[in-house]
Amino acid sequence: MDTPSVNSHKLRQQYPQKHNHYKFSEFFQFNRVEGTIADWNGSRNILTSEDFIIGLLEGLEEEVGAASAAVMYSIGVEWGKQDSLFFDQWFEREYNTKPQQANLMFLLETWWWPFTAQGWGRWEIDMADRQQGFMFINLFDSAVARTLGDVGKPVCYLYAGLYAGFFTEMVRKQLSCIEIQCYSMGETYCKFLLGAKERIDAAAFWLNEGATATDIEKRLRSGDPL
Amino acid sequence: MLSQLQTLVREVDGRYATDTELMFLQNYLQTARLRFSAYQKIQQAEKNIIQQVKKKLIALDPQLLRRGKVDLSAKWQRDTVRGLRFCAHALLVADEEGLEENFLLWFQSIMRSFKAQPSCNMTYKVMQDVVRQYITPQEAELFCPILAQARLLLGQ
Repeated sequence: MDTPSVNSHKLRQQYPQKHNHYKFSEFFQFNRVEGTIADWNGSRNILTSEDFIIGLLEGLEEEVGAASAAVMYSIGVEWGKQDSLFFDQWFEREYNTKPQQANLMFLLETWWWPFTAQGWGRWEIDMADRQQGFMFINLFDSAVARTLGDVGKPVCYLYAGLYAGFFTEMVRKQLSCIEIQCYSMGETYCKFLLGAKERIDAAAFWLNEGATATDIEKRLRSGDPL
Repeated sequence: MLSQLQTLVREVDGRYATDTELMFLQNYLQTARLRFSAYQKIQQAEKNIIQQVKKKLIALDPQLLRRGKVDLSAKWQRDTVRGLRFCAHALLVADEEGLEENFLLWFQSIMRSFKAQPSCNMTYKVMQDVVRQYITPQEAELFCPILAQARLLLGQ
């Protein structure tokens, strides 16, 4: 993610306190002379087609085979970590308060809104099990899964990495994430599990053994030994 | 209407618009006077509307604008003034679609993050009764569906 200048969005300069700025024509600023697109937070954006996403994933798979999933996850982790730092800056600038002082759910919703505006989908966080050290994220309309369609396996490794990277940076504790249900498996939405590595490894094992998202949720909530 | 105008400009590219495509403009012109009039009345009565809604909410459920010992009524008031203004604007320009895209979808996620759906649900329900005291039945026919839309999205 390129960040050319925090002042590059004219509407934001005019209305710095406007928080509901996620409408397409307001969130993005098209700089025709430079041929660039800046978003409200000054981040550089590019528009891509579904063909681009398919090309990226298939090209990567051709290059590295089965490791492409791990590569996409790692890209996501780095992206999430960097975005967490970027988010801290723009959140404080927009709300005149430090992220650590904000209501947690409000903070997370605010983090995800630019992603929604950019077409990454809407989300829903289930933090009921936070005290137990894990949480679920439901993602509606994943750009990756929507593009690939029903291929019978989870495909949103980039998102899993993004969540792992962002939350790791946010809570300053190493976290992992796995997609346990995907639109590309014929489900209506994608579901991610976020938590400590050993828990995510256990979920990956159960998933390989044929467990469903509901099975995994039940086993985690019942405190099944990992 | 603004969203529909944008669509019209995009769709009608190098040709004349059909009667069907212009229907929304006819509809708007037929209701424009009512919209202006209601908008001005709501603007003038904003303070009273908000106070009356607040009073009714507290009478219905004294805990609705509180979280334990914390009084949330000042925050509720800021949010509700903002909501009422956005709804009034949507009435003026006949743009429920824009209201949803510009404000309601974002505000819904914020209200959910503070678990404020019950107070939003009651607020926009009660507000539909309160505004009827300030605008004519014809004007209310245009405005109350907008408040109902806000209730639907923010209240759940």
